[in-house]
This record gives sequence, structure tokens and C-alpha cells, in this order.
Amino acid sequence: MKILIKNATIVNADNIFEADILTANTRIVKVAKDITPPEPVDEVIDAKGKHVFPGFIDLHTHLRTPGREDEEDFLTGSQAAAAGGFTKIFCMPNTLPSIDNEGLAKWIFEESQKIGIVDIYPVGAITKNREGKELTEFGALRRVGCLSVSDDGVSLPDSLILRRALEYAKMIDILVVEHCEDLRLANKGAMRESFISSKYGVSAIPDIAESLIVARNIEMAKYLNTRIHLAHISTAKSVEFVKRAKNEGVKVTAETCPHYFMLTVDDIEENSFDARFKVNPPLGEKKDVEKIREALRDGVIDCIATDHAPHSHAEKELPFEDAPFGLIGLEFAFSLTYTHLVKAGILDLKEIANKLSANPAKIVGLSHCGVIQEGFIADIVIADLNRQWIIQEDKIRSKSKNTPFIGYQLYGVVEKTIHKGKIVFNEL
Amino acid sequence: MEQWTKKHILGIKDLSRDEIETVFNLAASFKEISQREVKKVPALRGKTVLNLFFENSTRTRTSFELAAKRLSGDVVNFSVSTSSLAKEESIIDTIKNLETYHPDIMIIRIESSTSLHTLTKYTQASIVNAGDGRNEHPTQALLDMFTVKEVRGNVENLNVLIVGDIMHSRVARSNIFGFQRFGGKVTVCGPSTLIPYEFQNLGVKISYDFDKAIEDADVVIMLRIQKERQTSCFFPTMREYLDRFALTPERLRRAKKDVIIMHPGPINWDIEISSSLKEQVHPLILKQAENGLAVRMAVLYLVGTQKRELVEVE
Amino acid sequence: MNNQKEILTGEDIKRTLYRLTHEILEKDLDPKNIVLIGIQTRGVHLAKRIKNIIKELENYDIDLGILDITLYRDDLTAIGPKPVVKETKIDFDLSGKVAILVDDVLFTGRTVRASLDAILDFGRPKRIELLVLVDRGHRELPIRADFVGKNIPTNAGERVEVHLQEVDGKDEVVVLRNTDNR
Repeated sequence: MKILIKNATIVNADNIFEADILTANTRIVKVAKDITPPEPVDEVIDAKGKHVFPGFIDLHTHLRTPGREDEEDFLTGSQAAAAGGFTKIFCMPNTLPSIDNEGLAKWIFEESQKIGIVDIYPVGAITKNREGKELTEFGALRRVGCLSVSDDGVSLPDSLILRRALEYAKMIDILVVEHCEDLRLANKGAMRESFISSKYGVSAIPDIAESLIVARNIEMAKYLNTRIHLAHISTAKSVEFVKRAKNEGVKVTAETCPHYFMLTVDDIEENSFDARFKVNPPLGEKKDVEKIREALRDGVIDCIATDHAPHSHAEKELPFEDAPFGLIGLEFAFSLTYTHLVKAGILDLKEIANKLSANPAKIVGLSHCGVIQEGFIADIVIADLNRQWIIQEDKIRSKSKNTPFIGYQLYGVVEKTIHKGKIVFNEL
Repeated sequence: MEQWTKKHILGIKDLSRDEIETVFNLAASFKEISQREVKKVPALRGKTVLNLFFENSTRTRTSFELAAKRLSGDVVNFSVSTSSLAKEESIIDTIKNLETYHPDIMIIRIESSTSLHTLTKYTQASIVNAGDGRNEHPTQALLDMFTVKEVRGNVENLNVLIVGDIMHSRVARSNIFGFQRFGGKVTVCGPSTLIPYEFQNLGVKISYDFDKAIEDADVVIMLRIQKERQTSCFFPTMREYLDRFALTPERLRRAKKDVIIMHPGPINWDIEISSSLKEQVHPLILKQAENGLAVRMAVLYLVGTQKRELVEVE
Repeated sequence: MNNQKEILTGEDIKRTLYRLTHEILEKDLDPKNIVLIGIQTRGVHLAKRIKNIIKELENYDIDLGILDITLYRDDLTAIGPKPVVKETKIDFDLSGKVAILVDDVLFTGRTVRASLDAILDFGRPKRIELLVLVDRGHRELPIRADFVGKNIPTNAGERVEVHLQEVDGKDEVVVLRNTDNR
């Protein structure tokens, strides 16, 4: 399959330029002005007035398969990803059973290939059954293609297992992704400890439940001189720790999610404790949102992930305290970032290609991805930045509809997503 | 006040001083009804009142039930534990189900601190909060304040001291909002582990010294302490808790002569309050219970006789 | 704009109350068998005045009860809650007595209907009689007064107001003609 994209405004992490793009099979074969293909192509796309990004990469997704296929499966998850401009997604191992062995990981790779909409990379568990006791076979996981491991949903419970995991991962060359939360301190809280939690008596999680573990993880990575990736950073205090560590040269990378640069505890109160606003880490204060935005601008936070976490309607209808954590994000991350960070003047447009494509590829070690460049994988997103759309529940492709952003009017419509040289999403 | 406009009584947070005073005035009139031979007036005749208790409570449920009956409402009690509910049917489904009976008032006690507001979207009925999690227990605060008003003649500008497990107490929250509406200065006192740090943003004073705090108090509200707080490390032993936060004759001697001692009940004698003070403090605490009935009648009357405008129900 | 016309002066009211008291005593003979029930608010003050006149004429302290009928109204839901419910106090035995209900104006009869319901919750009097200062007609229920101070024929657009010293600072009965476009 050959596709020729004409008159594109290409947005890469380091530059924006006008050119045509020619793909052949799975690769980008030429990026140049006024390409005249030597032989006929299957599809010519006129991208005049549109912006063309490298396919987005989500390091943090939950696809609920195996175990909760009623909430999401590989097909609906892939469709939601492609509609949001994502071409590679990393699904977390908090499944039933958890992805803690090569067999399950291999099966996910195979299913993903069969569906063929996006590439699904299983994230292996760090410990068996995510119990925080025994390490999984990082070597076997790496051999079938896993690039990262995580016990997402919980932190590693003690410093010794963290040390062993990081040391061993260094040998295997696999990325350790840590969910940062002191579980004892979080004490089954449902929201951020704040004025609002006190006012309504809601059991709450203090912000240091995150930053304490962030600090621990940084110290450990520094001590072992190895890399670590911190999942969904949400507090101002965590940002301070990451910033200092980066200045010291610690090999730490960090992600955040759109809801952490958008929403605060006040939104929970304003929406009468609608459980769609319940997420872990919990929504913070205004100062946290400001700090997260600043950290994205300054590069302290490397990338934006979705933490796409589908939950059934019935589960999210439970009282706020009893409902599960999580919200979906694959379909909205790009437009939220564009509208609320780029259009708001906090990030340069190139930073979208950086935070959603180039940096995630670099962090996880995906080669020939994340940039529109000759010889690279033909993962391409064509978007119209001038068009607006409104998030509507009945238009959501994900099997679950749990997002706090229903009714939001956003700029930036993903019109086409090309994955490995094939059009996998066509909005028009 | 010309007209009552609040459809629901969800919390003292939402009530104005005027509205609280209206409840007091009505409660004062309603006390007389309970002294009659025929303890009943037809104000809620033909109204259906659902007493929905998703959490155990005998006292509050009985008080509400009697209040509705004295106003001639048709009361149905519905008690379920939420744990069994969570498995089979969501609370929203339960409300939707009960809504088909066209109730006029739903009195709800629930474990969740955050759900009542959402539930209002699923029923035409007025919702009256009978205690929601740790959030509020508005009728308790109303009856506490009403009792103070009855005893002292006023509730304005008082020094109020609330002692015990502040963090988990809906009674504390409602009383804080309530007394503050009347210019009161509220101090909360208890182990530091049981007072959320953020409480100072509610405009209350935090004290860990009962001996000192009791000196200025016009009203002292003793909260019930749950034994399981000890096992979850909020304080080391019950002995140490009592040493610092029980109301003893020695402590009471430090207080103003006309101090009012209240307790939402049931009291653990010799835990929250020394049993040697029983004769001295129990009559007033029983009066609270009596006033609870009148206050609940007032609340039910206000929401139950309201002009109904049909609202969209989800 | 209201057009106001005085129907009874303070002096008229005083004279009328004496006449009504005489009528009561004539009809019911022994004041020991009579109790007065004043309907909130002005009925209570009229009943107190009658009590004083009986004291003056017969040197007997007659029992006086106070009744607020808000909770017995048949239109509670239609009008919305009246946030004010005044005192009700009947702290004597009604059985075997002639209870005389006292109100200022008799109009539709609905207040009297509610009062009858309320009184019966307090006991079983031998007989209930009704005394009003003004009967303005337009009954909606089969109710009539036993003692009437003055019949004032009115039309629906008019209002009759009894003003009493204790509440309004002045004794008078006026008819108000409502000329607002309503």
C-alpha cells in the first residue's frame, strides 16, 4: 500500500514545515516538497490546511482484557485509540489474570496484530499477580516484545523489591514504570485530602502519598544509576522532586494525564460528587494544575499519557466513595492538549509531537517511531486544528463512557489516522 | 419569612439563618402537639413518607417515623444494608424503584457522604437527610441549636465546643455550620489524629486541651467515640483518650456556671461522660431527644406541604 | 389603589362585644358551662375581651383556649407551607362544655371547618357555637354563626379587615375595595 499526502503542514517535535509525505508498505519513504511518485499510489490525500503529526503513543492505557471485556476489549480499545490519533498503546497488566507471563503477553501481541488497527504493547507486571512479592520473568517478557513493566494501580510495597526490580530491569533493558502512591497513607481515600474532603467528610488521600513514593523511587534510581519512569504525576510536590532529580542527572522520566492539567477537587464538588471525576491519583488543587502545566512547558514532565481506564456505567453509578477509580481518555487527549495547552499559550504546537509522540517513543525505546521522517514507521495523524467538536457520550467509541469531559467543546479534530502505512481511522 | 423555598433538606450548609429560625419557630409550636390527648394534626394527610435507612439507626428512624405520623403522613420504613445493596442493586436503582410509588418525602440515612445530591435527580420527592456518611446530620444540629435556644433563650454569638472524634462526625460538621450561621465561635477538641488539618479553613478553632477549651464554652457537645478508632491507631488506648477528652466533674468545674452540656446519644457513660455527672447532664440530653421530634416535625411539615412542581426525573 | 371605607368604629366594636356577651349569657345561662376558643390571631383578642366583659358582668373567670388552625387547613399544599404556625393552647377539659369559637370575620367557612376538626382533637364538648364580629357572606360550606356582630354584604372583589388595638394599634372594621388589575 502506498499513500501520498500532499501539501501537509508537518509538525515534528523539533520543527514545523510544509511538505508531501510518501509511504510505502509500513514505512515513510519520502518527505519532500512536491513529490511526484515514480509509480502510481493507492491513495492521495490532500492535506492542505491540515496539520500532520507523527502517530501518538500512549504509554499508559487499560484495555481490561483479559477479564473485564464488558468494559473494553482490544477491538474497541484499538478503535478508540485510532480515533484519538494514537497508533501505539501500552496496556497495563492490572487485568484478570494479570499480564505477568510471556504467554499472556504473546497472546496480546498476536491479537493486536490480528485486529491490525493500532499496535498494542502489553506492559508486563513487575511482580507475580502484581502482589509485590516475587519478580516476573522480565527476560521472557522482553523476548516476546514487552518494552516496559509495571504493577500499575499500586506501588511496589517496599524498597527492597523496588531495588531488585530496578537492578534486574537494568540488565534486561526493560523500562520500569512505577505508580507512585503510599498505599497505607492513602488509606482507602476517595479523593484528594483538601478543604472539600474535610467539609464533606470524604475519606481522603494526602498529596504526599504520591510525592513520598516519587522521592523514594528517584533516590533508588539515582543510587542504582538506572532509569525509572513515573506514571501519572499529579502533584506540585512530585514535580519539585522530579525537577531536582533531572537537574542532578538522575535517569528519571515522568508522564502526566490531561485531567491533571485540567481538573481540580473543586470540579468534584461542582459536579455533586459524580464518580466520573474519581481517579487515582486523585484530582488536586489549583496549585497542582498550575505546576503540572509549568512542568509540561519546562520539560520536567516528558510526556502525556491517557491512563485510559474504562469502567462500566453500573460501577460509576455507585456512591463516590465506593465507585472505582479511573476515566477514559484515548479519544480526547489530543484535543484537550491542543485546546487547553497549545491554544492557551502554554505549549508550542511542536510540543504536541514531543509530548505525545517523540518522547514516549524515546522513553520506552521504540525505534523509528514518533517522528515523521524518511525511513521511519508510517504512523501519521492528520488533524484539522480549526475545527471544533463537542464530546458527546453517544459518540464515544470506547466500550465504557466514563469521562468527566462530556459536553466539553474542543479544538482539533483527528480526521485520519494512518498506522504502519494503512488508514485505520477516517473521520470523514 | 413569607414562603419556604427549599425542596430538600440535605445539609445545614445550604440553610440560611432565616430558614433555620423558621424551623425553630415551628418546632416550638409543634412541641404542643405531642402533649395533646390526640397527638396528631392533619397537615401531611395523604402524603407518603419513605423512611429509607441504608445504615442502622433506631433512634433517628423512630424519631422521624413518629414525626411523620404526628403530622398524619403515611410512613413506610425501608431498611437495607448497603453491602447487600451494592451487590444486587445500586442505590439509584432503589430510588428509581421507590419513585414508582410516588412518595412525597424520602428521609434517607446513607453511608456515603456524597450521594444525596445525586439522588435528588431521580425522584420528585423531597429528600431529607437523616445522616449521610461523615457529611451532615442536619436535623441533629437543628435540634441541638433549638435546645440551646430553649434553655438559654438565644443561640446567637455563642462559644461552642465540640469534643471527640471530629473527623468522622457528621454531627460535628452540621453543628459547625449551624452555630456559625448565628455568629457562634466553634472550637473543636479531640486527639490531633481525629481532627482534619483542613478544618481550620472552616473557620473553627482547633484545640487539644479540653481543660482549657471548656473554660470559655457556652455550649459543649460531646461526641460518641467509637472503640474501633483505637485499633486503627487514632489514639493509643481508651485510657489515654479518657484521660484527656472525657467530661469529668473536675473538668465541668472549670466551665462557666450556665454551660450547656449536650450529646447526640446514645451515651457511653464513663467513656464520653463520667457517670457521676448523670443526674446533672442527663435531663438536658433527654430534652434533646424530645426536641428532636418537634424539629423533625417542623422539617417534614416545611418540605411536605410545599407546592409541587413537577421536575424532570432521570 | 385601595378604597377604604370604615364600617365599624372603635366605639361600635365595644358596644357590639357587650351585646354579643349578653346574647351568650342569655342563651347559655351559666358561664360555668361555657368556654371560649379564640382562633388565631384576632379571634384570640376578641375572645379575651369577651372574657373580660363576662368577668365584669358575672364576676366569673371563664376558660379561654387558643387555636391555630394552620395545620388543619384543606389548602396547605396549594398555598405552600406557611412558615408560621402560632400557638395552640387548650389546657382545660372540654367535655360537657359549650365551646364558643371566636373569630373576627366569617367568609368562606373554611377556617371554621378547620377549627371544628381541631377542637374535636382536644375533646368532646357538649355543643360548639360560633361567634364572629363580622359576617361578610360568600360561604363555601354549610356553616352559619350563632352570634354575629354585624352582617356586611360585600362582593368578591372587596376585603373586610378587622383592626384591633392589640395587633393593629387601632379598633375599627373597614371594607377595602381592591381596584388593582389582578
